[in-house]
Amino acid sequence: MIPQIYIMAVITLVFSLALWGGLIYLFAGRTRRFLWLLVLGLPLSAIANLYIKQQVTIFIGQAAHIQPGLGLAAPLWFLAFKVLITPLVEELLKVSPLLLRPAWRMVVSRASALWVGLVLGVSFGMGEAAFISYAVAQNPDYASIPWYGFTGFMNERLMTCFAHGVMTAVLVTALQRRNRQLALLGYLAAVSLHLFLNMPVVLYQFQLISIELESFSMVLPLISFAIIFEKMRRTARGLGEYEDEKEIVYLQR
Amino acid sequence: MDPQQIELIKSFKPRRSYGWLWLILLAMILIAVGVAPWLVAGTTSSSAMLTMIISIPVAFTFIMLAFWFPSMRYELTRDELILRYGPVIKYRIPLSQIRTIRRRNLGLTIWSSIRFPGIALFKIPYSDVGDVKMCATSALNNILLIETQKEKYGLAPEKEEELVAAIRRRMEST
Repeated sequence: MIPQIYIMAVITLVFSLALWGGLIYLFAGRTRRFLWLLVLGLPLSAIANLYIKQQVTIFIGQAAHIQPGLGLAAPLWFLAFKVLITPLVEELLKVSPLLLRPAWRMVVSRASALWVGLVLGVSFGMGEAAFISYAVAQNPDYASIPWYGFTGFMNERLMTCFAHGVMTAVLVTALQRRNRQLALLGYLAAVSLHLFLNMPVVLYQFQLISIELESFSMVLPLISFAIIFEKMRRTARGLGEYEDEKEIVYLQR
Repeated sequence: MDPQQIELIKSFKPRRSYGWLWLILLAMILIAVGVAPWLVAGTTSSSAMLTMIISIPVAFTFIMLAFWFPSMRYELTRDELILRYGPVIKYRIPLSQIRTIRRRNLGLTIWSSIRFPGIALFKIPYSDVGDVKMCATSALNNILLIETQKEKYGLAPEKEEELVAAIRRRMEST
């Protein structure tokens, strides 16, 4: 029998694609030209988790003679490093598809940078959902849970896709300005937002908050992300990069 | 009501849409999301109970809104246009306060009250025209936007030109 989490992962991916793909299509002015980028970010979470974050953490731990599996008993700087490694690596990796010429060529304006960033981030988020479902499937503790017991996974991953989109949009919008200082600032802003998003999980892992509070405290970062997204979208719109809608005036006085 | 007054009230239907299906679908998803953890973890899990307590009332609200969907209509009286949706919406637009009537597509924002393909209700912020009090079977496309001194209202009448002509006639006669 296939691990039950995979059924929920498929439902989550279909929902994410329909919801975020559909919204990007509508937000970007009913155009499909950004949607092919959804493929590019899919493998990046697995690459980050299997080949970069884990190896770097092991390397640093060995270099500093820190025993593996210490958990919260590890030195504070190492714990801080483990918290930081995820946003530092992932924010960089999420924009790596821009190294491909056809992808970078799409970043021609503030608005297009916003949509390219959003699509790449959502794509990364979908890949992350698939990777997490794979990781959960390897854990025998979850083997007895039926697929409908993973609705929490679906809720969290749906929202996280959007959050990844906003973080990547912040960085791509900065990269579009073609200024090194702004690019660095954009990267640091994306990393800070990522830390903010991860904070409830980190606080739970440090046993500072309960699992219930951790589940519901994700709402605050998500509202903040929605505000940031709207702000970026309005700025892009203010720059006159959208076409005016045609309208029929029936009466004016 | 005075028979003369009844004669003066003209009712207009909104355009056909499947907006009610979205409300039902969302309600079903919310029920599934609320009930599934409870089925798995049982009543002893506080987070499963909390999820159910939050999601079930919201799902019920969506079901009620779907139930009232056929009641959406626009009533034109001698001096006002009334937008109705069940017992939850009754927007009165005095004809004397109408400044513009135009049909246009509206720009999406991420914020919303009730806005799905085929239905838009209550006050919704739009990226291009700002806050609009919606009572329409379309969320973005071909919205009849009525602007007064204080508010903007969004409609989607089936016989749009007929409604506009009737409004103009009443405005001219008062």
